[in-house]
Amino acid sequence: MGEDRVTSGRFARSPIADDGDALRFCSTCAFGAVCCDRGVDKLALNELHCLVEHVGPYRTGEAVFRTGDRFGAIYAVRSGTVKTRVVDLDGRELVLGFHLPGELIGLDAIHPESYPCDAVALEPVEVCRFSFPALSTLATRLPGIQQELFRRMSKDIGGKALLAGDYSSDERLAAFLVLLGRRYAERGFPPGTLHLAMSRGDIANYLRLAAETVSRVLRRFQDQGLIKVDGRELALARPAELYALARPILDR
Amino acid sequence: MIASMNATAFDRNLIARYDVGAPRYTSYPTAPHFRASFGEAELLRAIKASNGDPIPRDLSAYVHVPFCLSPCFYCGCARIITHDRGKAAAYLTRLHREIELVAARFDRDRVLAQLHFGGGTPNFLDVEQLIELVDSLERHFGFSRDPGREFGIELDPRFCSEDYARQIAAAGVNRVSIGVQDFDPAVQHAVNRVQSVDETAAVMIGARRGGARSINLDLIYGLPRQTPESFAATLEQVIALSPDRIAAYGYAHLPERFKAQRQIDKYELPDAATRLTLLQQTVEMLTAAGYVHIGVDHFALPDDDLARALSNGTLHRNFQGYSTHAACDLVGFGMSAIGHVGDTFSQNAKDLVGYYAALDNGRLPVARGLRLDDDDLVRADAIQQLMCSGDLDVAAFEERHALDFPLYFRESLRQLRALEDDGLVESSPARIRVTPRGRFLLRNIARCFDAYAESPDIRYSRAV
Repeated sequence: MGEDRVTSGRFARSPIADDGDALRFCSTCAFGAVCCDRGVDKLALNELHCLVEHVGPYRTGEAVFRTGDRFGAIYAVRSGTVKTRVVDLDGRELVLGFHLPGELIGLDAIHPESYPCDAVALEPVEVCRFSFPALSTLATRLPGIQQELFRRMSKDIGGKALLAGDYSSDERLAAFLVLLGRRYAERGFPPGTLHLAMSRGDIANYLRLAAETVSRVLRRFQDQGLIKVDGRELALARPAELYALARPILDR
Repeated sequence: MIASMNATAFDRNLIARYDVGAPRYTSYPTAPHFRASFGEAELLRAIKASNGDPIPRDLSAYVHVPFCLSPCFYCGCARIITHDRGKAAAYLTRLHREIELVAARFDRDRVLAQLHFGGGTPNFLDVEQLIELVDSLERHFGFSRDPGREFGIELDPRFCSEDYARQIAAAGVNRVSIGVQDFDPAVQHAVNRVQSVDETAAVMIGARRGGARSINLDLIYGLPRQTPESFAATLEQVIALSPDRIAAYGYAHLPERFKAQRQIDKYELPDAATRLTLLQQTVEMLTAAGYVHIGVDHFALPDDDLARALSNGTLHRNFQGYSTHAACDLVGFGMSAIGHVGDTFSQNAKDLVGYYAALDNGRLPVARGLRLDDDDLVRADAIQQLMCSGDLDVAAFEERHALDFPLYFRESLRQLRALEDDGLVESSPARIRVTPRGRFLLRNIARCFDAYAESPDIRYSRAV
């Protein structure tokens, strides 16, 4: 328990990436692993850094990009949580996903050459902007970058399918919590603790449920001792049982 | 938990030394720190955010009825003296409008688990008007079906019949709080509130017949002309009425702040030593009669919900003192009413003109408020722990707020050391515990954790 934690009352809630430098990536960098795993040389690392621009902070509700904006870059979340969504002609919102630090957004704009969705900050957000033309050029010389891009794209597509299909509200919510818990754990959070930057309305929309249903199921999970909810903080108290509930979706 | 609830140890000399100005901490930060820069937009944002919680909190409504037929001279509440019952109609129009506007902002599944009518004098309204208000709240919010829901009202027995109390209770109000203050005619004349034991008993009987499950009587010590003998007689009469709860407030004489108090002859006020005797005998007589000291100025019978909440650690503090209900979002309706939604406090306009003008223009009548910052939240939690459970678990606290307790609170802990030397608290690296004698001085203990305590321009009532 160091002195630095004294001033960081929100430490447990919002992971802020430490700043990288010419020789080191931010701890949550989307491409950090590529270089570390494959031993990219310092010159290449430097080149990658040259095409990265730190952007933000965006305030809650601000858009990183909007539907129809010309595609020029992909973004990696550095800190905070980003929601992607589309809004139909009647003004109805459809939530596509939530993106945590280290995750990429804008990949689905590569083909249409314009962003097919909005990316909105759910809390104060900082991002890294990768100019796509420059990244493509670099990728021809650094195969690791290209592979990582492909890997991320296919993971993205796989993730979307998780919540389609005919599943009960219990199964959907359990799967949502288990998967989100995994992503938080990958980011170095204490196992089983999540901070929900998204509103229950957003969760409900994403899972195609009513907001009241989300709360009713969560309250029941809490009464059963599976989770503990305190405001926006959520702890997975009995992850194995949640996993069992989510199995029909997760083991598909 | 507290070892023995009735082991409240009274130490005269000790308490005299702590008789300094201290807030009552019905909120932290306290109301004088609210700012005019917090308005309708900020409240609406807070409501929207609270709707987004994974399990949104239930709601608690406070409804302020500011009118009184007669001025009690000790009063420091926001109220308007009038005999014109017609004023109620104009006020109710706005109150209904406010309920409608506010309810539209809360998601439909956020029901009322708590409701409190305060004043002023809520029974300035007639039964039909009051029931109409209850109905409107039910229609717009929906009521919790939890049998533990707390619906309360303050009643002035001088203007409340037995039948009035019965009808209100039958309409679902299950807690009644009755102002007594003192039964001695000499004191009653000095404070301009003449009220018989029979009138008081009639309201209690009516409320019980209607199904109210908890009845509270309010007393005030430190009023003009009170003597230990006269107040002992009042206490005996009160105990004989056997209310479920008793609140014994210390009178705060602040005539420069509260105009009505200028009617009180300060030479008739009991001196500091007599005030202490009055408090001491209140505690001794009430505990001897079987009442449990809940904390600060509240007492309850052992089988009352409040005493149960104290013993199982589920007690909470809010603007009405103590409550058995966990974190609700509090919505304040009416002139000067205070709300507490999410991390914000907000207060309505303190005069009818401002209150009416906002609502007549379709705006919420928020006049000031505050968004709690991280430090406020941390300190509010510490104060809540100490004032309600009398016990603060350091490790759990550090985990909740991700901080190093001794480092964060080094100044508070330094101040607390003097209180520890006086036996008000026991602290170890693992926990801080309020001792039985400390339960009288919770305001002083909480003050150690108050970052605003040294604000120069705000005067608080004395802690004892």
